[in-house]
Amino acid sequence: MNRFETIPKTRRCQAFITINEPVSSGLIRLEIEVDQEMDFLPGQFAMLNLMGPRKRTFGRPFSILACSGNRVEFLYRVVGGGTGDLAGLKPGHPLTMLGPLGTPFPAPVPGQPAVLLAGGVGLPPVLAWWHRFSRTDDRAFFGARDPGDLPWDLLPVSWDASVDAQGETPVGRVAWQGLVTELAERELTGMDLPPSMVLACGPIPLLEAAGRFAEGRGWDCFVSMEEHMGCGYGACKGCVIPIRSDGQPEAEGRNATCCQEGPIFRAEEILWKQIR
Amino acid sequence: MNLPDWWKIDPCEPFVLGPREFPGRIWTASGCFAYGLTGHEISSRGFTSPYEGLGAVVSKTVTPMARTGNPMPRLCELPTGALNSIGLENVGFDEFLASVLPELERRGVPTVVSLAATRPDEFGVMVAALQMAGADYEHWHGVEINLSCPNVAEGGHDFGRDPETVARCVAAARKALPDRALLAKLTPNVADIASLAKAAAESGADAVSVINTVVGLEVDLTSGRPVLPRRYGGYSGPGVLPIALAKVDEIVQKAGVPVVGVGGIGGAQDALKFFALGAEAVQVGTAQMEDPFAAARIAADLSG
Repeated sequence: MNRFETIPKTRRCQAFITINEPVSSGLIRLEIEVDQEMDFLPGQFAMLNLMGPRKRTFGRPFSILACSGNRVEFLYRVVGGGTGDLAGLKPGHPLTMLGPLGTPFPAPVPGQPAVLLAGGVGLPPVLAWWHRFSRTDDRAFFGARDPGDLPWDLLPVSWDASVDAQGETPVGRVAWQGLVTELAERELTGMDLPPSMVLACGPIPLLEAAGRFAEGRGWDCFVSMEEHMGCGYGACKGCVIPIRSDGQPEAEGRNATCCQEGPIFRAEEILWKQIR
Repeated sequence: MNLPDWWKIDPCEPFVLGPREFPGRIWTASGCFAYGLTGHEISSRGFTSPYEGLGAVVSKTVTPMARTGNPMPRLCELPTGALNSIGLENVGFDEFLASVLPELERRGVPTVVSLAATRPDEFGVMVAALQMAGADYEHWHGVEINLSCPNVAEGGHDFGRDPETVARCVAAARKALPDRALLAKLTPNVADIASLAKAAAESGADAVSVINTVVGLEVDLTSGRPVLPRRYGGYSGPGVLPIALAKVDEIVQKAGVPVVGVGGIGGAQDALKFFALGAEAVQVGTAQMEDPFAAARIAADLSG
């Protein structure tokens, strides 16, 4: 992987909510203010936990969307009790944050365009990479359930969007019906592209399809994996992803921590059949 | 924080346990802080590292051969803690000896090596190899033998429930460990923990670490099946604190064996409860996962 020379320092911070508002029918934008200046690399995440009586045994991992000074931004979807509690909180509510954590997406490579694929709540790391690094020949595709689930205000106009079910779109914006990988396939087939790099985040089927899409072209593909986590910093081994072991047959794979070795992995090293 | 009048100890001052002087009394528990090489670069207001003020890091348990651990999910969060079923994933003893222990020494991490085995004599063999490799190490302070990991299929479980087996494991380790502390980590999943502690002490343990996790199970109501693939997990976190305190008390009262208290410690007040019952030191486990500075904060708070 094209690693960064320096990874921003991880900090354990006190924080409070500054913004916690829906940006689409399913996605909520969270902005927090932390007690120190923060930096991150796209693909990295932070563990957030509530303070007070609703503090959980473990924090929850949230992919970082943006960071500026003491402000850190996330996008999330309510998936369980922890995110459910978070969605009900008003600005000012105290939190703790441990971050940034994990291995980021690779840096852009000159002469190698990037194809970005994101689905649903997988948007933040891909959008963060776009904002930090995108060049004119990079392309991005984003898929959601329906147009109401698309955070149109956050989505760059050059991005192509796809939906599972059609519905009303804002003036001047279009959403294709179908899978995001099919949309990318359709848009890129026939184009004379140099070897590119695929970066993907979203549901497992999307990531697997992104891997096949890249493999068919002989391109590199990096995917952002998601797993339930305990600590988020490599201490507990509670969030492992089965990956290939160098030079070993597939059955002889090994467990890699999603939080530390990941969450970004090469698609080809993941043992997809063993993923729940 | 306000400390009680009876509290006269500085937990960041050295203290003697068995043949060894430890740099402090606030430790991290096995399995909750990896091998003690994780998180050195993390900072927090008032702390330059999560290792500040720690008396020891008890390593993740190391077994004779590397283990890949249990299938996912390995953790199940509960309102009062969590169940875990990691399955002793570890790099294996040879790799630990070759690359982890030297790095712990280089970094100056006060270390207690946690070992598990399937037969008593394996403990002796591993400890002898440790003694050879680490004879000159300044920061390796001892060995904790894990007699009770409840989530390993081979029945690590029953291993530590029988006083005679406990005695044989401890004796085998003690024979090979002349000048470092030897601790035996005991399971709470027994009727008479004091007799286990007694057996451990009589066979040469300098202290017992009490408690390991409590056997637990959680059911997923959607599927009607246990959440963890191996059904049972080890329960830890705030919910086990009163169980741990009771087991520590039972040992102190009935067996008079030195105890390192572990189980459900989230803050300085929890740690104080173990010290009030006579614990020599305490270990912070599950709380360390949520906050890498949990143990360091307790050490700072109790130093006054």
